[in-house]
Amino acid sequence: MYSNNYTLFFVFIVTVVLGTMLSFTKDSVKDLQDQNLKADVQKTILRSLNFDESLLLTNESIEQTFKSSIDAKCVNVEGEIVECNIEEVDIEKNEDTLPIYIRMDNDKVQGIALPIAGKGLWSTIFGYIALNPDTDSVLGIQFYKHGETPGLGGEVEKKWFTDNFVNHPIKQPGGEIKYVPKKIRDKSGKIISIKVVKGGVDYSESNTSSIHQVDGISGATVTADGVTDFLLEDLLRYEKTLDKIRDYGTI
Amino acid sequence: MELFNSESKKIVSDPINVNNPISLQVLGICSALAVTIRLDQAIIMTLAVVFVLCSSNVILSLIRNYIPTRVRIVIMLSVIASLVSVVDELLKAYLYDMSKQLSVFVGLIITNCIIMGRAEAFALKHGPSKAFLDGLGNSMGYGLIIIVVSFFRELFGAGTITLPDGGAGYVLWRIPESWYAAGYENIGLLVLSPGAFIILGLVIWIQREFAGVEEDA
Repeated sequence: MYSNNYTLFFVFIVTVVLGTMLSFTKDSVKDLQDQNLKADVQKTILRSLNFDESLLLTNESIEQTFKSSIDAKCVNVEGEIVECNIEEVDIEKNEDTLPIYIRMDNDKVQGIALPIAGKGLWSTIFGYIALNPDTDSVLGIQFYKHGETPGLGGEVEKKWFTDNFVNHPIKQPGGEIKYVPKKIRDKSGKIISIKVVKGGVDYSESNTSSIHQVDGISGATVTADGVTDFLLEDLLRYEKTLDKIRDYGTI
Repeated sequence: MELFNSESKKIVSDPINVNNPISLQVLGICSALAVTIRLDQAIIMTLAVVFVLCSSNVILSLIRNYIPTRVRIVIMLSVIASLVSVVDELLKAYLYDMSKQLSVFVGLIITNCIIMGRAEAFALKHGPSKAFLDGLGNSMGYGLIIIVVSFFRELFGAGTITLPDGGAGYVLWRIPESWYAAGYENIGLLVLSPGAFIILGLVIWIQREFAGVEEDA
């Protein structure tokens, strides 16, 4: 039988040794982890803007692509450009400084990526939605950080779910099916965003808003409702900016 | 003691075959279901478990005579949890994509019964070299099963065989389009957890048959 003092002493030593080991490990890999994290965010933006996967294989090529073809700036709710340190903008809390990433090609806008973030079931979900220059149809959507249940809410980051946003089936007269992107604006041009509907989208002709709807995830209704809510909220914040790009081709 | 006498060999080979932690003791099933969707995930998971189990066994065996019995579970858990955290941090630094795919399951190695079980049943009673061999044998026994399960799940569920590389995995082979055109279809069920149960059940059956194990009726 060991004395209480010995037990306490032993536990103390073990704690100190293990704690030192952990902080040493964390400290020595922190820079690498931060680089990975940064590259992952940039990769998400590039993916949403439909860049070729072959450009996104290494951290270096991601940074290179990002630097050369993305115009990153901040706008306010009124659609005016404001000064900011874009990497440090808290997209969840800061509602006045809105980051925007524009894919430029020969001085023409090819796509616009906007950060989206909001509550799912357990966690805040972070991602990017990219729009075509018409600021109506979706170019891509990607989620990169969340703490939803793997296999249920966690499916938001999976390809089958994000593909929903760019594959709206339209039956051609010949019986063939053509896929077009989903749309965030209604016929009058108002932003109504895209709804994640429980079950699947009703593609019958009586459902006139199916172009504004995507299939939900079974077992993850709360996560899906969260996505619907923050998508609308975040897109509305950019409404004036998006109108400007649509009408003038630039901010 | 000699490292490669017959007793040492038995310590390593027993848990791989006749006393396999998954198929005979039916431990560590949760992670065997969760990380066996793709072969590359199972391989990285195996490496992580080999590292954690070997080191935790050796460390605990080294300090076994100094651990106050009353707090031994806490000590074991702290050592294991710290090692798992180290693995998690290293994965995030060097294999970022893989760490994203494995997500919480790396952290959950802490609760893998095999690790605590070996510490309590073996490492606290034997010297460090034997404890190391025991860790190696058990983690490889675990790894063997999850690699076999993930191979079949990925091949028949997703139609690919993926090996780990620095990024999102290197696809070694995929079922050619012509097979799909000829009417072949992936079995979607295998990608889901029930599919893992079925494959695992089959593996357990075959492995027990192979090892000649019979349970008392």
